[in-house]
Amino acid sequence: MSLNRRNFLELAAASAAMSAMGIGSAKAQSTDTIRMGIAANGPQWTDPNYTTQGSDNWATEQMYEQLVRPEDGNFATTPDQYKPTLATSWSSSPDAKEWTFQLREGVKFHKDYGEMTSEDVVYSFERAMKDGTNTTILGNINSVEATGPYEVKISLKNPDALFLGTSAFNNNTSIVSKKAAEEMGEAFKTDAVGTGPYQLAKFDPEHGTTVTRHEGYWGDKAKVSTVECVYIADTTARTLALLSGDVDMIEAVRAPGWVDSMLQRDPNLKFDMTVPGSFNTLHINLNRKPFDNLKVRQAVMYALDRHAVADALKPMGGFMAGLQPDFFPAGFKTEDLPPELQYNHDPDKAKALLAEAGFPNGFDFDSNCSQREDYSSTMLIVQEQLRAVGLNMNLKIGDHTAYHADNRKDKNTLAMHSSSYPPIPTQLYFQQLSSTSEVKSDGSGGGNYSHYGVAMPGIDDLLKKALAATDFDAYVETCKQIELQVLRDLPLIGLSTLSFTVARNPRVDLGYPIKSGYARWRFHRATKTA
Amino acid sequence: MARYLLLRLADAIPTIWLVLTLVFIAMRILPGDPALAALGDMAQPQELAAFREKMGLNVPLWQQYLQFLFGVVTLNLGQSYMNGQSVMQLIAYNLPYTIELTVVAMIMGFGAGIPLGVMAATHRNKLPDSGMRLFSLIGYAIPDFYLGALLLITFALNLKWFPINGAGEGFADRLHHVFLPALTLAFVKAAFIGRLTRASLLEVFGKDYVRTARAKGAREPRVIYRHGLRNALLPLTTGMGLSLLATLSGSVAIELVFNRPGIGRLLINAITERDYAVIQGGVIVFAMVVVLVNLLMDLVYIVVDPRIRVS
Repeated sequence: MSLNRRNFLELAAASAAMSAMGIGSAKAQSTDTIRMGIAANGPQWTDPNYTTQGSDNWATEQMYEQLVRPEDGNFATTPDQYKPTLATSWSSSPDAKEWTFQLREGVKFHKDYGEMTSEDVVYSFERAMKDGTNTTILGNINSVEATGPYEVKISLKNPDALFLGTSAFNNNTSIVSKKAAEEMGEAFKTDAVGTGPYQLAKFDPEHGTTVTRHEGYWGDKAKVSTVECVYIADTTARTLALLSGDVDMIEAVRAPGWVDSMLQRDPNLKFDMTVPGSFNTLHINLNRKPFDNLKVRQAVMYALDRHAVADALKPMGGFMAGLQPDFFPAGFKTEDLPPELQYNHDPDKAKALLAEAGFPNGFDFDSNCSQREDYSSTMLIVQEQLRAVGLNMNLKIGDHTAYHADNRKDKNTLAMHSSSYPPIPTQLYFQQLSSTSEVKSDGSGGGNYSHYGVAMPGIDDLLKKALAATDFDAYVETCKQIELQVLRDLPLIGLSTLSFTVARNPRVDLGYPIKSGYARWRFHRATKTA
Repeated sequence: MARYLLLRLADAIPTIWLVLTLVFIAMRILPGDPALAALGDMAQPQELAAFREKMGLNVPLWQQYLQFLFGVVTLNLGQSYMNGQSVMQLIAYNLPYTIELTVVAMIMGFGAGIPLGVMAATHRNKLPDSGMRLFSLIGYAIPDFYLGALLLITFALNLKWFPINGAGEGFADRLHHVFLPALTLAFVKAAFIGRLTRASLLEVFGKDYVRTARAKGAREPRVIYRHGLRNALLPLTTGMGLSLLATLSGSVAIELVFNRPGIGRLLINAITERDYAVIQGGVIVFAMVVVLVNLLMDLVYIVVDPRIRVS
């Protein structure tokens, strides 16, 4: 058969028309699959003991469980709010150094790896203590022993009244199958055998992770059979993927105005937000003059309109009177603080304090900032507010990775930091305020960029006292003293909170409201309509 | 011929070595800590130290450099700091997607650019010629990432004719996925090739043999394609080489905009994460491609113009 030019053109036109007709229906989606657009380049690990990229935990959250968990969509702000999960009950010794857990019977691991027993729990804790991303916190565990097939006793070096929050409900101590982990060795980092409502079906380091319903799940089985975590780092591509219906949900861009712009494109979109989300703090470098002067730091505090900072980030932004949101343990409402520590926005008072400190005309200083939207947008607001009282901050905005590396080498003056914390205040105090975490110019130090506790007396003693508390109330009381001490000394300012946000197509119903919690939630109760 | 090829490849070794050395030094000079990027900004000092030791980042720079060169020679490019995957595996996975995008874009760009150039040259100073020049101007002026976003919004988001991201599976699906990104790259390419074709043809049309062909009564299509276009191919071949390299570098932005796997996206992500091993591996690929494309173009010259001989 010969094909002349006319035949060829006719064939080409027909093919184009046919493919165009087929294209419209190509993207129709199953109601039995939820696709989530993840804001990262690609999954790194599926082993919760090694995940350093927060986004990877969207998948691990579906596959793994811990001994206890809070209510879905929330944090447990007090120990009594934890729900039995892989443990059905627990008790602690009066000195909070010995914790005993009764395990749930009949819990099946994924992929026919058998029933979960105390051996698996011991193994999971021991590997997290030995290696992984949280050895510091888990270093307080002295031993974990199986005292029966369904009973585990955990002994601590120091008391921990919040053990359920610090160590039991912890990504690193997610319960893994001992048999599977030992069999797979290194491969376990990108495979997964847990007890959660979904099990790993596919791990593709370039595209994402797919999990499917675990039919042997001990609780209510997942309603939607498949969850796909699709990695789309580019914000435009991710946003378009949601608007086009290619994915059902995406991790949001946490920048001012983003939610409004999305609602303009599609008014039906839903937004799930955790409160507080990230804690945006501002370290004042006490080794850099004139910030060693308390009056200058107080001037900074009065110059800042922290409500305006939070409002600019609305609906994701939130206010902190101190370093914790008011519903967290040790958190204060502004009106509950002593008047001199409320620091309501007062530019005139800021100017007066600067004059008293010897700077009636203010002064100029350099500061670095990350180009990431949440950092740069907040620091540009801070820059304007400081400028209004004569503090001219020359802001150098640069690459995010380089910014953090520079902070770790003590190269910043006012260093903004954004990190999420559970309702365990001592974690923030330890990482950002203790003298043991002091930043070092050779990069070997920690995240205390203000040099608090070294450049001036800090909260080390109070922190030690809080960590030695044997009951929750005593712990909270000491943490409140730390909050007040920090507000007096001002090495660190709580700028705002910033919710983790997911934009969701209304065809997906999560089955529960998102109020608080880590930047990940479970989909086992979710349903999806066409 | 084989000796010629081997000599040309041997010539490329110093170039590749220089590129690798520059990249190695540049990555170490750039601010940013791979350990901090991998473990997160709240990682504790002891965790960071353990990571550096595990990845060999704590040994002196000259030692890291020698290890790196030894790895290149033995085709062991190390492993990604972020997920422990072999760099060779990452390249093997991503490279076909970049080749696919480049090849389709080249076909589209040349498929549109050459006819447009012919049309402009044969209608000199008339409407098609002005239209072609305007198209070229737009093609040169519009950044490809911006054009990509426009096409994505129009044809993928609003009209839903094309998928919004990814690379697809299976032949037809992959073609469907590659069409828009390739079109984006082809737009600029068509503008460039169109102009080049026009200029080459106009030059050839003034030659004696074209006048002779017309005087002999040859039909116009024969004059254009047999006598004109064929002789205009040499500068087009040079253009093809340049265009291929430009497409390859253009694929970096396009792979990001369309969320496609590929060497460009792999490289950009690795730079963001200070994943030295992957950056070095990606640069080796780009350097090798530049060398091979140049070599290929030299060979094409020989085929296209019999007057050129291997000497």
